[in-house]
Amino acid sequence: MRVLAVSAFAAVCLMGCPVLRAQDTGEPPAVNPLSGNAVAIQTGMGLFRSRCADCHGMDARGVRGPDLTQVWASGRTDGGLFRTLRRGIPGTEMPSVGPRTPDDEVWKILAYLKTLAAPTATDVVAGNSQNGERVFRTQCAGCHRANGTGGRLGPDLSRIGIARARNAIVRRVRGATEDFLDGYEPVIITLKNGQTVRGVRKNGDLFSVQIMDGRERIQGYLRADVKDVQPGKQSAMPVFGPERLSESDLNDLLAYLGTLKGFDPSVK
Amino acid sequence: MRPMIPRFVRLALVSAAVLGVTLGAQQATPPGPVTNQELLDGLKADGSNWLTFGGNYANHRFSPLTQITPENVGSLQPKWTFQTATLGNFETTTLVRDNVLYVTGPLNVAWAVDARSGRQIWRYRRELPDNLTACCGLVNRGFAALGERLFMVTLDAHLLALDMKTGAVVWDAILGDYKTGYAATLAPLVVKDKVIVGVAGGEYGIRGFIDAYDAQSGKRAWRFYTIPGPGDPGNNTWQGESWKIGGTGVWVTGAYDPETNAIFFGTGNPGPDYHSESREGDNLYSCSLVVLDADTGTLKWHYQFTPHDVHDYDSTEVPILADIPISGQPRKVVMFANRNGFYYTLDRTTGRVIVAKPFVQTTWAKSIDAQGRPMLQPGHRPDEKGERTCPDLTGGTNFWPPSFDPRTRLFFVNAREACATFYAYKPEYVPGQRFTGGAQQLVNNRDEKPFGAFRAIDPATGERKWEFLTPTPSRAGILTTASNLLFTGDGEGNLLALNSRTGTLLWRYQMGATLHGTSPVTYMLDGKQQLLVPAGTTLTAWALPDGAGNATR
Repeated sequence: MRVLAVSAFAAVCLMGCPVLRAQDTGEPPAVNPLSGNAVAIQTGMGLFRSRCADCHGMDARGVRGPDLTQVWASGRTDGGLFRTLRRGIPGTEMPSVGPRTPDDEVWKILAYLKTLAAPTATDVVAGNSQNGERVFRTQCAGCHRANGTGGRLGPDLSRIGIARARNAIVRRVRGATEDFLDGYEPVIITLKNGQTVRGVRKNGDLFSVQIMDGRERIQGYLRADVKDVQPGKQSAMPVFGPERLSESDLNDLLAYLGTLKGFDPSVK
Repeated sequence: MRPMIPRFVRLALVSAAVLGVTLGAQQATPPGPVTNQELLDGLKADGSNWLTFGGNYANHRFSPLTQITPENVGSLQPKWTFQTATLGNFETTTLVRDNVLYVTGPLNVAWAVDARSGRQIWRYRRELPDNLTACCGLVNRGFAALGERLFMVTLDAHLLALDMKTGAVVWDAILGDYKTGYAATLAPLVVKDKVIVGVAGGEYGIRGFIDAYDAQSGKRAWRFYTIPGPGDPGNNTWQGESWKIGGTGVWVTGAYDPETNAIFFGTGNPGPDYHSESREGDNLYSCSLVVLDADTGTLKWHYQFTPHDVHDYDSTEVPILADIPISGQPRKVVMFANRNGFYYTLDRTTGRVIVAKPFVQTTWAKSIDAQGRPMLQPGHRPDEKGERTCPDLTGGTNFWPPSFDPRTRLFFVNAREACATFYAYKPEYVPGQRFTGGAQQLVNNRDEKPFGAFRAIDPATGERKWEFLTPTPSRAGILTTASNLLFTGDGEGNLLALNSRTGTLLWRYQMGATLHGTSPVTYMLDGKQQLLVPAGTTLTAWALPDGAGNATR
């Protein structure tokens, strides 16, 4: 069946069609040709809901299957994701989209998915990124890392430019946060001697908790050996209101963050 | 002149002589082929066997062994760990006989393992097709045994008989076409000379059934369609042609009542799961308990837990049979904690509801009325905008086995407290593709997080006797023993031992992976009680240190 399907593709491609030709050589385009296309995104949403949401959740944050909103942020590429959809993941429940699904439908699903986490094409890039980098170094880098420098208490932002929409970053910076990100929930541990340790929760269960504390020490504690473990009520990330970060500095900061599209270790 | 005997022959003769002596010593009374009587006996006081999915035909998952106690459970030691070297998780109930473990794993790999050392004796591996369509875990829930054969279903919807001594295929029967969504994952149920199985595929527009095959020949003896065809009673509970693709798989092992020669199986959800306009009606016998004559497959009675289900509330949980006093009267009952959030005690002879009470937060129905029908709450039919319902699609509980202690008459269930927003949209049926017509969004935020609870329920009243809470839901089954121990696992990989009378935590060990859809089993090996724990891709055998416990039992 599979051989037949490939031959059919080859036959069609001989008659000339650019997208299918890429399929024929086994190399899809590296970048989604439909990225940011409003019509494609709309269709992709329908396809995602009917074919993927059952396992990955309506918001793509995972049910039986994994969270798909962080895949670009974690370094996957359009081309790599296309291959995953096209081939499935053998030995798991992740099926191939099947030979009846044309390439453009796969790209539409991916175009939609990208809107759930990544900046949209309508995001206006404005502001002075050089000043933004200065703002980042003085205000953010204590806790956030970008391209190998900065703190580790908060998430690494080296890919934030392709992982988060501008308005999502604004909400976060200004303190209008919804939920704590997994791995960054605030936690307060009271030791037997009364001393408290504040940090962010990396993992835990009924018997233990694993954290990174304010000094970036990663450490596990057995609940039986401490007095108390409490979730913190406030994010470890401070609120940067207009008095702390002017509109203009925020604008510059966003311009700088928009340039962060992936850490290249070879660049020093 | 002495006759010339080649050296290797001499060696072989010597070895044979030595071997003969050893064999004679070790196998003073080696057990013969597995008999029907052994299956009827269930778990015996000598702890020598575990031969059916639930330990006994009533699915109690309760062991009479008492060497491991609440006092000494804390000193359990691992004896060995066996690894599958495959992807996926164990969901299997290991069978035990004559110091050998018979284990099925993910992706239809299976083993015979030496219980003394954890070393493989044989391995069976099925070559599976590339384009499998199985939903929800490429798993297998265990073997059944009879004579010198093991029986196992496959992800590509076959039933195999394997030689217990070698793992070689003896016969291979086709249940359905995997290309159109049929799959199989349950542990077969052997009754008399028949092997009884069901098919999975409720998310792929199959038409479910329960089949019986002759254990000797592999020939099909009968088939019971879980969706009645035209002219059969119940077909009119499906709109138009929807009965042809209405799902209703059977993917968890049932119980057997020898007294009435009846088998009890829970059935899966109707399809499409959420968008139900195309299948108006009660959709019999989806989300039901069907009770069949074991010889003929004829329906004796049924009880539908969730008529016209729209939340994927498969009733593929494990039914447990017992005779218990209720309001001073001895009753023959079947107990059932359902994915839909209700716990049920039914009269096993008539199917009438004796007790029906929510055991988790349940919003889709207020209660179950005198006729046994759920009294629906308005606003719980999924649509494109989404509607919030508790429990979520994974349910108040699910396929992971509960346990019943016949001494204390407590029913133990691993419960989940979770809610979800359910969405529905019109699906198109394409053979072999998912056909669910919707999805759910788990309610999981700072203020409302799902959690888990192990609960002891009095089946005479549905009242909760105790609970042990865990911060995340778990998918582990439950094993109990006559020394008041309850073994299970939490959602974070901890193996737990609780006191089954009180729910108090006695011992725990971080296994590194969760117990998924199954429970530990226990048996005796050379005078020592063993606890065999499947977690992730490992099986670990635990026992008390030498000198601890009571050597006899």
